[in-house]
Amino acid sequence: MYSAGTTMTDGDYDYLIKLLALGDSGVGKTTFLYRYTDNKFNPKFITTVGIDFREKRVVYTANSPNGTTGKTFKVHLQLWDTAGQERFRSLTTAFFRDAMGFLLMFDLTSQQSFLNVRNWMSQLQANAYCENPDIVLVGNKADLADQREVQEKQAKELADKYGIPYFETSAATGAEVDKSVITLLDLVMKRMEQCVDKPTADGHNGEGTSKLDAAPAHEKKCAC
Amino acid sequence: MDLSLLKALEREKVLEVLHRDKILRSMEEDRIRRLKVELQDLRRRGAKSISRQYGERTCARCQKPLGRFWNTGAVCLGCSHRICGRCRVFLTRRFWRCTVCHAYREVKVKSGEWFLEERGKKFPHETAQHETIGEKLLKSHQRLGNISIVPPTPPPFQDVAKLSFSRSGNFTSSPLTKSMEDLVMSFNSHIRRISKSQSDLRADLLTVNYDRTISMSKSQSDTAISTAFILNKGPSLSNIFKKFKEWEQQTSKSLSSGALTDRDTSLSSGETRGSNSSIETDADSSGNPSVTGEIEIALAYSFNTSCLEILISACKNIMFGGFKQRKCHPYVKVYLLPDKSSGSKLKTTTKKNTTDPVFKETLQYSVERHLLASRTLHVSVWHSETLKRKFFIGEVLIPLEGWRFEDSSTKSPAWYPLQPKSDGGAVDQVVGLLLVKVKFSNPKHTSDSCSVSHEAGQLTVLVTGVQNMTGSKSGAAFVKGSLTLPGGQILSQRSPVVKKKSNLKWALQLVFSKVTLHELKESVLHLDLWDQATFSLSERLLGTARLQGAPSWQALQQMPSVWHSFSLALCTSINTRKP
Repeated sequence: MYSAGTTMTDGDYDYLIKLLALGDSGVGKTTFLYRYTDNKFNPKFITTVGIDFREKRVVYTANSPNGTTGKTFKVHLQLWDTAGQERFRSLTTAFFRDAMGFLLMFDLTSQQSFLNVRNWMSQLQANAYCENPDIVLVGNKADLADQREVQEKQAKELADKYGIPYFETSAATGAEVDKSVITLLDLVMKRMEQCVDKPTADGHNGEGTSKLDAAPAHEKKCAC
Repeated sequence: MDLSLLKALEREKVLEVLHRDKILRSMEEDRIRRLKVELQDLRRRGAKSISRQYGERTCARCQKPLGRFWNTGAVCLGCSHRICGRCRVFLTRRFWRCTVCHAYREVKVKSGEWFLEERGKKFPHETAQHETIGEKLLKSHQRLGNISIVPPTPPPFQDVAKLSFSRSGNFTSSPLTKSMEDLVMSFNSHIRRISKSQSDLRADLLTVNYDRTISMSKSQSDTAISTAFILNKGPSLSNIFKKFKEWEQQTSKSLSSGALTDRDTSLSSGETRGSNSSIETDADSSGNPSVTGEIEIALAYSFNTSCLEILISACKNIMFGGFKQRKCHPYVKVYLLPDKSSGSKLKTTTKKNTTDPVFKETLQYSVERHLLASRTLHVSVWHSETLKRKFFIGEVLIPLEGWRFEDSSTKSPAWYPLQPKSDGGAVDQVVGLLLVKVKFSNPKHTSDSCSVSHEAGQLTVLVTGVQNMTGSKSGAAFVKGSLTLPGGQILSQRSPVVKKKSNLKWALQLVFSKVTLHELKESVLHLDLWDQATFSLSERLLGTARLQGAPSWQALQQMPSVWHSFSLALCTSINTRKP
């Protein structure tokens, strides 16, 4: 579905997609993104000052609606990393409005970080670009099985309640990291198409739609 | 929402991220612009022009005729044009758009326009829809920037260097490079100031300012173009072009006006402009609080080159320039009085955000040693902010009379306390002598002096020249005369303009008629000598001479109809009088 790009400094890409990682302090947002972009793991905890971002270029293959694999696009990902600390809250939430999709993260070894997912959801609702933006729920530190405090079932239920995908990842091993990001990218790409095609799909000149829908079908037979 | 709540180093870190974001953003803007240019091309190729008559039965895109029975074409949902089968792009088996509408759709998706639209629905009242929060923060920081937020003492060199080199290689904005830039700039101008003439330096400054203006308006226009292309309403090409033209004009306008203001405020390439700006700076000195601080100056005279060299070393503890914001971007301006023309004005570079600026700049006047005795060095410190009026910080007057330039011990720098602006009226200086001939004549030619004194006659004043004039020698001059009669009535006369060559005899005649000798005794005659610069309409007062008091007039009374010669002292006040 994707592969890493080589050069990052030119404008040779088709889409700029801005994603943002959020969640409590210490859940592993920075290491998660570091694993995703550089495929490396840094076990040291360095608290993020305010905001930061990482970039990655991937190739996205669109699945066209009729089932066949469609065109491929170069996508430039801007992955915003936010400080989980409360004191940066006003700064970080301000950046929510510019992101097209969100990685809402919690720490599988911290019940509290999971409980706070609710608060983060309401923050998103208030500050994101729309009422129901594309979000992926990510339970990180899945490798630390013996310290686990949040059960998969619990988290899955919450994700279902919000109607968003859920992944259990490990920045340390890299498990599910790529998959969760690509799932979010896919959601955003689909949302994008929907947004553009919506006006006619809803049929703001509905009368014409049915009439014109028939026209091309007729046309085909005419072998033009 | 701004960055003022953060600690200095945190802010530095965040700003570094924002600058990185800015680079990505400009790359993205370039890409979007390219997309839109391509779209325009496509649109232009497929546009039906108004001038040509098209039949109903042609494809709006390729203009090929459409058949009556097959290849009849169908109306595109996007643009309502009839489109042939080839100019369609199918999104699903049945759902299609014409090529141009499809391209619009593509651009809308690829440019992120969809996102701005969606967000616009949720936050309809936000003014700058296209502006990202990073952009906003960066802008607001730059606006307030370096003034109230940035700590007065920059963080230690090493810290900053580490910070900016460890992250992603964007050094454009870090204070380190900024100060380096400043350093290089001041170094350059320093060198030039010594080696080249002043006008050259001014020109250099001009180009620097131009560059800044251009880059600024360019980034503004980028955002303007993205707002201009709102695609959901299917704007026509002409519309796009119109908007394009509009913002092009706007940018060029803002560009030129920006450059003009820059020139007006900080440069003096022409004589007119220079004097304008100094009048402006002079005007703004009213009502300033108590003056503090000192300035370190060293004076030397180079006998080899006949140059007075003034080393403006530093200032300390000067007051802030702005009333409200506590900011200070000081520079030092020097005149060699009594000449207050732009030719006599020299300036240092402007230092940013400091009340203890270090200039270490040498300013030079090419002047003969023996003429220095009558000169006074006028050194003033000003606060300069782009597009704002200059603000007076303090000044010091150093009379050069008796200065022992031959003694090397006088060359060492000395600290002078800054003074409030002096009231010019008190400090009159003689700049030369005005040679005049005055005659009172009576048309009736009566010899009786007693009756003459009550009869109206005419006073003729002939200005024949100047002597020992300091200051500029070129150009042209004229004299304005005003005779103030005892009743307060003022008779004014203006002479024609004469070429101001020092040795040439003038004959500028002013005639005041219908005055009596009796009135003259208590009258005051003011003669203002004005300088008119070549190729310009600007006028500058060189000095004022006065003829008053009984003794002067008595001679006229005793011997009417005869020329009486006077050598009147031409005075100038440090305060400039306006024309």
